Amino acid sequence: MANGFFTDTTLCIGCKACEVACKQWNQLPDDGYHFTGMSYDNTMALGSSTWRHVSFIERPAPIGDADTGGLAWLMASDVCKHCARAGCLENCPTGAIIRTEFGSVYVQPDVCNGCGYCVSGCPFGVIDRNHEDGRAWKCTLCYDRQKDGMQPACAKACPTASIQFGEINDLRHRARERVDKLHELGVKEAYLYGEDAASQPGTEGLNAFFLLLDKPEVYNLPPHPEVPTHKGKKSWISAGLAAIGVTALAFASVMLGNSARE
Amino acid sequence: MTEQNSRGSGPKSIGFLTGDTDDGRNIDTTLGTLSGEAASQATLATKHDVVLHSKAFPYVPSSQSQASPSYYNQPLLKQPVWIWSIPAYFYVGGVAGVGATLGAAAQLMAPKSMRSLVIRSRWVAIIGGVISSGLLIHDLGRPARFLNMLRVFRVSSPMSMGSWILSAFSSAAGAAALAPFGPKLLQPLGEAAGVLAGLFGLGLSGYTGVLISQTAVPVWQESYRTNPILFLASGAAAAGSFFEFFRLNARESHAVERFALMGKFLEFAALLVLQAEARRVSRVARPLEEGFSGFLWRAAKLAIIAGIAVSVLPGKSRAKSVVSGVLGSAASLFVRFGVFYAGKASARDPRASFEQQRQLSGRPR
Repeated sequence: MANGFFTDTTLCIGCKACEVACKQWNQLPDDGYHFTGMSYDNTMALGSSTWRHVSFIERPAPIGDADTGGLAWLMASDVCKHCARAGCLENCPTGAIIRTEFGSVYVQPDVCNGCGYCVSGCPFGVIDRNHEDGRAWKCTLCYDRQKDGMQPACAKACPTASIQFGEINDLRHRARERVDKLHELGVKEAYLYGEDAASQPGTEGLNAFFLLLDKPEVYNLPPHPEVPTHKGKKSWISAGLAAIGVTALAFASVMLGNSARE
Repeated sequence: MTEQNSRGSGPKSIGFLTGDTDDGRNIDTTLGTLSGEAASQATLATKHDVVLHSKAFPYVPSSQSQASPSYYNQPLLKQPVWIWSIPAYFYVGGVAGVGATLGAAAQLMAPKSMRSLVIRSRWVAIIGGVISSGLLIHDLGRPARFLNMLRVFRVSSPMSMGSWILSAFSSAAGAAALAPFGPKLLQPLGEAAGVLAGLFGLGLSGYTGVLISQTAVPVWQESYRTNPILFLASGAAAAGSFFEFFRLNARESHAVERFALMGKFLEFAALLVLQAEARRVSRVARPLEEGFSGFLWRAAKLAIIAGIAVSVLPGKSRAKSVVSGVLGSAASLFVRFGVFYAGKASARDPRASFEQQRQLSGRPR
């Protein structure tokens, strides 16, 4: 069984209740007070102490056929994707990052030694190291709440059901119905991002997937993310060949040197 | 009483709604407990002033008004958190690792005439291995937990493999270096350890190239084929250059010079191939051409060419060996730091990832 999120950005009203609920439940420290000028977004990105992040996109183009004065304000609540093939987990050298019984990707703070390899392994730029305590942190999909049979704090707090929590197959079914419904209503741009392995082979699907209205880049999401392990595997072959080459070089040099006159 | 800003260790004062922690959590510890998933996370320096980001954001993140959209030019990826000690380790590991390989080759092919090279390579290996561990531990967020690196054996993680390789390498190199001081009975074991150190040395210098390939950083990922080749070649050039500093007999120094020279040629070729690979997506190659990393990259090329020029000059002298050694060592350091800072710059550029993925998504993986 795998649980996850379906974040329907067409329902997001940018209230940031998810950000607040996440901070409160997980007892995350604040990040200071920033005024960025990026629409209503003052948290900027996911990070070690920001596990839900609402992006605000002021777009000079309407949605669908709606008469919105040529404007649209897109909002989307971003979160760790809990990828089926998670770059952070596959890179972690200590076993601190594990796959839980709920299918989520979880960092054990008492094991993490702060090597930082997960940070570079995430194609979404989600996980980050807290520079004060040296450990990597990210969304836990409310592991503690799930163990008690509760839904994650952000989904619970979301007033518009933009964040939906549930069993991943149920969510996919619900999401596809929603896309059909939106297309019927004239919102032809609506599509799902990372809902399964077929649509996003690089990650083999996201346990937290999204319904978007514009290119992924607009929401700061990669268009075709791929777990870095694929590249690493092929890189080992190069390393093997190069090792043989350097060994040959060493033997050749010793032979040349040995035949030299004293 | 307002001074307290510990990690939620207790209330400022006891009383109704006055027990708030002042650690950026504002939890009244007389009413609640600090037991959330992130309750142990250290407080980031909490500033109570508003930070104004004066930089204006000229780009609206919309695909309809821009051919190449991004989210207010914010980075997509997190910049690698590693510090200077990581590229320094790439260099030291390269010298120690490939140095042990050269030593093992000498031990097998010319055990008598190159004995002093063999012994020196073992000491370079063990001292390099110890310095390597120090540099790596220095970079950890939690240095006291460095032993957790050997907690699991995870084939999917080049860093886990690397930790085991470094441990095996240092053990073998240490045994090989110390064996001559032991009883005669142990000598064959010392020789075997020398060969093992040579083998693990190849892994030590090569795995770091795999390690950076297995990241989401565009420029590192794009050159996944060449990274380990460049790292091993640079290791060969650096090890050869390092041995040029020693006073060796004629045969040994001839072998070392040949090795350094061939290593430099290979290193230069790998540099060019890596850059050509990165240029398939112009945005990805940018950090190799611009900024601090671009400067290091050019410096590396110049130093290699200068090193080759000095090596092929006729005649033999101590000064020539030392100059060649200095140039070769500098080139390898420029290569390691250049690759490292190119990765940092690449991760800061969201469009490098976007264009790489858009352009190459049709390419078979």
